[in-house]
Amino acid sequence: MKTALLPGRNGGSFTFAIRLLAVIGILVCALPVAIVTIMSFSASEFTGFPPQSFSFRWYQDVWALFTAADASSAQSVSEATLTSITVAVLVMIISTVVCVPLAYVLARSERRVREGMETLFTLPLVFPLVMLGIAFLLMAESLKLELGIWRIVIPHVALVLPFVLRNCLGAMSGIHVEVEEAAVSLGASPARAFWDVVIPMMKPGILAGLIFALIISFNEFTVTFFMYTIDISTLPIWMYSRTVSSLDPATLAISVVIILFDLVLILLVDRLIAGRANLF
Amino acid sequence: MTSHLSRRLAFAFTLPALVAIAPFVAACLYILRFSLSGEQGVIEGFSLTPYYELLTPYFGRSVWITLKLSLIATSVVIVLAVPLALVLVTLQSNLARRLLTVTILLPLILNLLVQAYGWVLLLGPSGVINSTLIALGLTDRPVRLMFNETGVLLGLIQTSLPLAVFPIASSVRSISSEYLEAASSLGATHWRSFRDITLPLLRPGLVAAASIVFAFNASAFAIPLLLGGRRVQMVGLAVRDMISPLFNWSGAAAGGMVLILLTIFVLFASNYLVRKTTARIGT
Amino acid sequence: MSDTHLSIENVTKSFGTVHALADVSLNVDRGSFVCLLGPSGCGKTTLLRIIAGFEAASAGSLTLDGKSITGQPAHHRGFGMVFQSLALFPHMTVAQNIAYGLKLRKAGRAEQSQRVEELLEVIELPNIADRPVSALSGGQRQRVAIARALAIRPSLFLLDEPLSALDAKLRENMQIELRRLQQKFGVTTILVTHDQAEAMMLADELVVMKDGRIRQTGKPTDVYRKPADRFVADFLGSANLVDARVGPGGKLVFLGAQTGHVAPFSENAKVSVAVRPEDVRLSLPGTSDTPVNSAIAAQVVFRRDLGAVSEWILSVGDVEIRARCPRNQNPDASVGDEVAVDIDFEDCQIYAG
Repeated sequence: MKTALLPGRNGGSFTFAIRLLAVIGILVCALPVAIVTIMSFSASEFTGFPPQSFSFRWYQDVWALFTAADASSAQSVSEATLTSITVAVLVMIISTVVCVPLAYVLARSERRVREGMETLFTLPLVFPLVMLGIAFLLMAESLKLELGIWRIVIPHVALVLPFVLRNCLGAMSGIHVEVEEAAVSLGASPARAFWDVVIPMMKPGILAGLIFALIISFNEFTVTFFMYTIDISTLPIWMYSRTVSSLDPATLAISVVIILFDLVLILLVDRLIAGRANLF
Repeated sequence: MTSHLSRRLAFAFTLPALVAIAPFVAACLYILRFSLSGEQGVIEGFSLTPYYELLTPYFGRSVWITLKLSLIATSVVIVLAVPLALVLVTLQSNLARRLLTVTILLPLILNLLVQAYGWVLLLGPSGVINSTLIALGLTDRPVRLMFNETGVLLGLIQTSLPLAVFPIASSVRSISSEYLEAASSLGATHWRSFRDITLPLLRPGLVAAASIVFAFNASAFAIPLLLGGRRVQMVGLAVRDMISPLFNWSGAAAGGMVLILLTIFVLFASNYLVRKTTARIGT
Repeated sequence: MSDTHLSIENVTKSFGTVHALADVSLNVDRGSFVCLLGPSGCGKTTLLRIIAGFEAASAGSLTLDGKSITGQPAHHRGFGMVFQSLALFPHMTVAQNIAYGLKLRKAGRAEQSQRVEELLEVIELPNIADRPVSALSGGQRQRVAIARALAIRPSLFLLDEPLSALDAKLRENMQIELRRLQQKFGVTTILVTHDQAEAMMLADELVVMKDGRIRQTGKPTDVYRKPADRFVADFLGSANLVDARVGPGGKLVFLGAQTGHVAPFSENAKVSVAVRPEDVRLSLPGTSDTPVNSAIAAQVVFRRDLGAVSEWILSVGDVEIRARCPRNQNPDASVGDEVAVDIDFEDCQIYAG
């Protein structure tokens, strides 16, 4: 019980002030998302507030954008979305396949090795995103590398590694070496013990890592902004190019779909690692 | 078999991850090398010219704006994050806590464009705030809130708030409520307990959170790009402009190194501060 | 002479549908040492926290020196409290911890340091003022926590199982220390514990609680000798509770044997008798010290010698009885042997049912 930190009754001016600031904080967090959602249902082209009437016309527009074969624009929204999803899935698979064995080794190795490796794999998190974008761009351009979709996948993998590794390490921390030894004593080879005992026990952490990788890659803007080409570009870039001069309500409708997608995934992660780990 | 893995297996298990992170390390080294290049467009010889050429009033102004905005945003974020963390930790209902967690977390994860749209709709000339002000008769002309420092500041605060709330919340969780009760039994009011007990015990967590938020804001790119409308030239934007219209790649690399060094300096300084304060508490 | 300092009237506390305290009333005399004793979950800590002001009672009232303090916030009550975790502020030195309450009362610097010195003297740790709390041993922390609570000259001194984290030896020393400090300062003290030996040794007044209710209040020896019900008899001194009945003439029939003891129950009533292990006297059958009046034949099931005393488990039919004998009264018997059991029922409590 932590009520003493923030007294509920008899809290007086202190509780009032804390709650007021918290409400302001919540508003700052939630207002932009809320307003985008409201405006996406506006019936008018004009994005002034408040909307005069409500409709689903922008959602119908988005539907039309996706279904109509749009040859006029250099890259259609459906192509961008497909690229976004392909990139996100590749990033998700690669980062997880790479992190699960690493987490296993780190959890079982000496503290010094473990701390060093953790630091190395946390670097992309503290490295400024712009610089990551510029660094990858300079390297790809000046070395004239032809990478196709990997232009975007490779930097994204670096970006999500810290999150995936942290989740896998968290999952490993509850698995004592004795359970593996038990499997081995019953006749399993070490590889078999890893597959039969460790992997199933790590499953929630692995899944959480997978979803994190998916969310982060799918929503990534800054690094992709430097790396995209006319042929390979993602949904956030498509949205940017469409709204560079002015906002159009159809983009808001797409935004709401993205918000929902993210919300569902976050809730899924929250359920997977409920109470057992911090999201960050 | 003991907890010591065979070297070969350990290596085989580590290798894929090292391959995955190798491009990142290579890119870091590459940009460092480029920043020392004698030519603007290719790596050629060694020279500190790219760094000297940064010493212009233009880049200096960028650094100044970046430091100023990051500092203000970080202060506001901490002032908002501590109450949010207190509320988050003390919430009794599971559902409410989950909802609040998701609300705070969303801005960190959600596509930055979507959030920028939200701010445009809020702050724009016909946005929520201006319509409200005009409707209330407080002003007859829309107030300029966007494409200036105010808009960028709000965007920075919003996107970096979650980065502070979660670490602070875990610090709050580790404070025993008996400390507060002890202070109360000795005669401290709620404000006094907060000042004398909660804040000092949170200090390491606060310093760590503030440094992360500062580093995040100092290297912001998307927010000033989308909400500043090129009028608020933070370092991230200035560096990008060297590449895109100017093709001064070594200059961009050098500008980037300045940004990285700034970030690393802040992180190390705060790490040092945290160590010093925790050493004194000694728990 | 009874001088009521704190008066608790009909206090009830419920958490949702759970009743933590049900209609608790208690008067605490000025300068007395009261121990709230009971198993975990009996409501003793809740009662202490209501007295301290950290929980609000659902109903009932608290009166201190004739003035109601029921709704008064904790920081206005001026009660010194020692917490289970001690709750010494980790970011302050020993002196800062002790002086904190005085600082809040806007005492001058000189007064603060004088009082700190005085208290460190009292707890016999004169040279630790500037040490961080983390550098102290368990016993030292304990004393500092006590000093911090006493520094504000509290009108009530509250302790929530403060000794439970210490090892047995240190614990015993601290109990003596605590009792001496309390007598020296003459402060009215309420201590919560689940350790009956601790409560017996410290208390002027013992309050035994169970399931949110007070079962018995009284001087420790009185409660020990005359437990009000079977729970108290079992909890305090772990008595044997033996089913018996009342035979002709109101005389007790105990383990099938007719005794000469007249019980205040009607004939054929079922009763249970609380027999303390130390009230069971053992002898070898047929020897000169075998009492003639009410010897019961029993078989030794278990015996262990603990030096000063020996502990026995004896069986009479399918009933097992525990006994504890001083060293010089041990019969020379081992497992499987027959012994004679003698009980003076004047020392025992007899309950209905």
